[in-house]
Amino acid sequence: MSGAAGTSGGAAGGTVGPRGGRTRWALLGAVALLVALVGLASALDRAAPRAERSAPAIADLPAPVLDAPIPCRRSDPDEVVTALADRLRPGRITAAIVVACPRLFDGREVVHVGEVVGDVLRRDGGAWVTLNDDPYALELGPFGAHRERAGFNTGLSVWLPDGLHEDLGPAGRHGRRGAVLRVEGVLRRADPADGGGLTVRAVSAEVLAPSTPVTAPVDRTLATAAGVAALTAAAAGLHARRRRRG
Amino acid sequence: MSAVLRPSVEDLRLIGFYLGRVLTGLGLLMLVPLPLAAVLREWNALSALLLGAGIALTLGALADAHLRSRRQLGWSHGMVVVALAWIVGSAVAAVPMHVSGRFADPLAALFEAASALTTTGMSVINDLDHLEASMNLYRHLLQIAGGLGILIVVLALFSAGGSRVSTLYVSEARDERILPNVLRTSRFIARVTVAFGVAGTTALAVALLAAGFGPWRALEHAVSLFFSSFSTGGFSVMQSSMIAYHAPAVEVVVLLIMFAGMLSFGLHHAVWRGDVAEVRRHVETRTLALVGTSLLVLLTVGLVRSGTYGDVTAILRRGLFTLVSAISSTGHQVNAGDTYLSDWGVLAPAALVGAMAIGGMASSTAGGIKALRVALAVKAVVHDIRRFLLPESAVVVTTYHVGRRRILRPDVSRAATTVLLLYVVSFLLGTMVALTYGGLDVTQALFEAVSVGANIGISIGVVQPGMPSWLQLVYVVQMLLGRLEFVAVLVLVGYLLSFVRTPRRRRRPS
Repeated sequence: MSGAAGTSGGAAGGTVGPRGGRTRWALLGAVALLVALVGLASALDRAAPRAERSAPAIADLPAPVLDAPIPCRRSDPDEVVTALADRLRPGRITAAIVVACPRLFDGREVVHVGEVVGDVLRRDGGAWVTLNDDPYALELGPFGAHRERAGFNTGLSVWLPDGLHEDLGPAGRHGRRGAVLRVEGVLRRADPADGGGLTVRAVSAEVLAPSTPVTAPVDRTLATAAGVAALTAAAAGLHARRRRRG
Repeated sequence: MSAVLRPSVEDLRLIGFYLGRVLTGLGLLMLVPLPLAAVLREWNALSALLLGAGIALTLGALADAHLRSRRQLGWSHGMVVVALAWIVGSAVAAVPMHVSGRFADPLAALFEAASALTTTGMSVINDLDHLEASMNLYRHLLQIAGGLGILIVVLALFSAGGSRVSTLYVSEARDERILPNVLRTSRFIARVTVAFGVAGTTALAVALLAAGFGPWRALEHAVSLFFSSFSTGGFSVMQSSMIAYHAPAVEVVVLLIMFAGMLSFGLHHAVWRGDVAEVRRHVETRTLALVGTSLLVLLTVGLVRSGTYGDVTAILRRGLFTLVSAISSTGHQVNAGDTYLSDWGVLAPAALVGAMAIGGMASSTAGGIKALRVALAVKAVVHDIRRFLLPESAVVVTTYHVGRRRILRPDVSRAATTVLLLYVVSFLLGTMVALTYGGLDVTQALFEAVSVGANIGISIGVVQPGMPSWLQLVYVVQMLLGRLEFVAVLVLVGYLLSFVRTPRRRRRPS
C-alpha cells in the first residue's frame, strides 16, 4: 500500500465554504466542459466524409466450412471433437472458426482466403504472412475511406514456400489493401517449425485481388477544428505567459 | 465523514492547477507523433492529434493562468489530483481516438485511452491492422507515459523544487522514493527508461531486421514494442500481437524488456550503483523467483497434460513467454486469445490467472497485487502463527528486505493485506458483472476480470469492439482502481461525497 494511505491528512485542506455557490459552479463548469468535449468529438466523428467501402469486395468467395464457430470445450475427449468433423462442409476456414476449436482442424487440408497484412517476412525457403479474413479484408476494404466498424481483425499465420510469395506486392497496412490470396495447405495446431504456433503451411496460392493503394479523403471539418484548437492553444499559452509575468 | 471538511474554491483551484499541468503534459505528448503523421501524409490522424493537443494545451494554459494558488498541496489534494489526472487525462487522451472513427462510441475511446494509460493493454479498436502509423505510435506513447506515471512524467518535465509535489508521487501508487528528492527520483526513472529505450529499441530493430522486416518497419515496430513492453502495457502494432513476428529472437528481446519493466525502480537504482547483492536480498526478487518458478512448473505440467504441444521447445517458448507476459502484467500474446480456453487445458490457464493476479514489483511499471504485498501478507500470517506457537513472553520479530532490513510493523502488514483484499474484491466484482453478460463461463469471466483489474491485458475474447457498454464501464473503473491501487480513487470518492454530505457552514455575520 502506498505510504500515503497511512499518512493521509484527512481534511480537504480548505476553509469550510462560505462560498459554496462558487464551488458548485466550478464543479458544474468542469462537468459541462467534459460533456462539451464528448459532444465535439462525436459531432466531428459524425461529420467525417465516408464511402460505402474503400476497396471492392472479393467476388466468388467459397463459403465457410461452418456457419458459425463451434467452440470445443477443454474437457471434450478427442472422439467428440473428431465427430464434429462430420459437420464440416467443403469451403474455406476462417480464423474465428479455427481458434474456437483448433483440434478439429489439426493436420487437415484446408482452404484459407485472406488479405496479406503487416509484412511479408522472407526467410530461407519461403515467407511468413498473416492472412486476415475479416470484413475489412474481404468485404469493405481498409477502414478510413469507409467508416463501417466491423470489429477486430482476424487472421491466420501462413507459411508460403518459395515460388508462392514472390509476387504479393506490398502487404496491407494504412493506405493499402494487401493482396488477397486463396491458399490451400495443411493446418498445424502447434507447428514445431514455428515454435508451437497455429499455422497453415500452404502448398498452393492464388492471388484473387492484387495489392492496391486506398486513399481516405481528407476530413476538412476535422482539419478546420484542429486548426482552431491549435490557434486557441497558442492564444491561451500567450495569455498564461502574460499573466505569469504581469 | 462528518470530520471531513467540505472543499472550498481554493482547494478546487489548487487541484485544477495541477490537473492543468497534467493536461499540458498530455497535450505535448500528442504533439510527438505529428512529424511522423506529416511525413507519411496521414492528414486525418494529424488533424485528430492536433485537435486533442489543442484542447489539452488550452485547458492546461487556462489552468496555469487562472488557477494558481498559494496554498500548499496536502495529502488529500495529492490523492484527488492523481485520481482526477487519470480520469480526466484518459478522457482528453480519448479525443483523438474518438474522432478517428475507429471506436464505437465515446466510451469505447475512453476504454482504449484508459487501457493505454493504465498499461492494461486491452483494446477495442476496429481494424488495427490498417491504422495510421502515427496514431499507433500515439497509443504506445500513452502506454509509456502511463507506465512511468503521468505525474512522474509531468514532474520530471515541469516541476520546480519547493512545492510539495511528493504527495503526487506517493499518491500515484509509488511508495519507494529512490533518491531523497522526488524530482531527482523522477529524473532517475526517466534516465533508466531512456537507457533501456536506446538499448532495447536497437536490439529489437536488429532482431526484426533479421526476421525479415525492412529498415523503416523494423524501426517503427521496435519503438512501439519497446514502449509497450517496458511500460508493461502490452499494446501491439498488429492485431495478432507477437504472433505476427515468427521470430524467437524478437520474443527473447521482448521477454527481457518485460522483465526489466516489472523490476522496481529502487532495484534498478541498486544495480546502477553497483549493489548487485541487493537483487538477491530484495524480498520481491525472492518472492517473484519462488512464485514464478512454481507457476512455470504448474503451467508446464498443464501444457503437457493438454497435449497441444508435441515438443519441449514449443512448451517453453509459448509457456515461458506467456507466463512472463502475465506476471509482468504486459499482456503480449503468442497465442490467439480463444486458444487459452480451447487448447491449453485447465491447469495452464489457472497458472496464468495466478500470475496475472500477483503481478510484478511495487514501484515498477507493472500492475497486479504486487510481489511485495504478497510477501508481506504471507509474512504476516507466518508471524501470527509463530506468535501463537511460542510462549506468551516471547517477542516475535519478522523482518523483510527492501533496500535495507526492515521490521514488519502491524500497520505495514495491514496496509498490504487491505489492498490485497481490495484487489480480490475487484476481481470478484468484475467476474460477477461479466457473468451477467451471458454466454461466458466462470473461467472466461474470472480470467478477463483479473486481466483487467490487474492491468495485464491478456484477453480470451470478452473484450472486443461491440462489447456491452456497461461491462466496458466496469472494466474502465477496474483498470483505474488497479493502476492507482484503490487509495487515490477512494479518497476522490470521499471528496465528492463531502460535497453532498457535509453541511455548509453558515456565513458569519459581519
